[in-house]
Amino acid sequence: MERVVELEIPARPEFVGIARMAVGALAGIRPGLAYERIDDLRIVVSEACTSAIEGMEEGSNLRLRCVDAPKSLEVRIEAPEAAFESAFPKDEDEPDGDSFRISLIRALVDDADLRTTSGFAELCLVMHRDAASDEDDGDLPA
Amino acid sequence: MDLGLDVKERNGWAVLSVQGEVDVYTAPQFREQLIQLVDQGQRSILVDLEGVEFLDSTGLGVLVGGLKRVRSHDGDLALVCTQRRILKVLEITGLTKVFTIYDSVDAATAGN
Repeated sequence: MERVVELEIPARPEFVGIARMAVGALAGIRPGLAYERIDDLRIVVSEACTSAIEGMEEGSNLRLRCVDAPKSLEVRIEAPEAAFESAFPKDEDEPDGDSFRISLIRALVDDADLRTTSGFAELCLVMHRDAASDEDDGDLPA
Repeated sequence: MDLGLDVKERNGWAVLSVQGEVDVYTAPQFREQLIQLVDQGQRSILVDLEGVEFLDSTGLGVLVGGLKRVRSHDGDLALVCTQRRILKVLEITGLTKVFTIYDSVDAATAGN
């Protein structure tokens, strides 16, 4: 069973910790992601939210949409396209100070995809769950 | 979210112990503390990361900035870290080749 959890936070640095805490907690509800991988996801969510916030106007909100499925957890983060330019540079031959960020995002999640449409971007981060979780949807007993 | 920063002197090192989460919100305090140490004339800085619960690229940027700053004064900045989760971040970004990393404050300061 697929479950969707949406989170909207003020686009301010002090709320990044809340985003990664919420996503980390959601990742642990269903089995199939070891603690170390949840920790990896928390880092990537922090990186993505930081990138987004740095490119957003003051007073705006950052939206995260988490799609929690038996075989994967997807975290989609929406922001203006320019917000993710530093995390996903178009010219990778010229690394800059943000190269740590892209290195971590690429290394720590199973898939990271940036989709852009008319000035708007959605960064989709995917963690695949272990096969053992296929038969357990993580629902609490009645 | 609080960041704990504590500075002690040990055998000629300024040992900066960091506790808590280092991210875009708390990194400015961390950066300011490192700048202050260099401005005070500290040339051997040891950053103890054993109490760090979370570190992302913003924190890495602070460490690299601190290293550049102290090296520009012919000093050095080393780390204490045994936590797998933090070492992993340093390894992915290639920083294990940039920083000298010790297992403990004692090991780092014994021969200074």
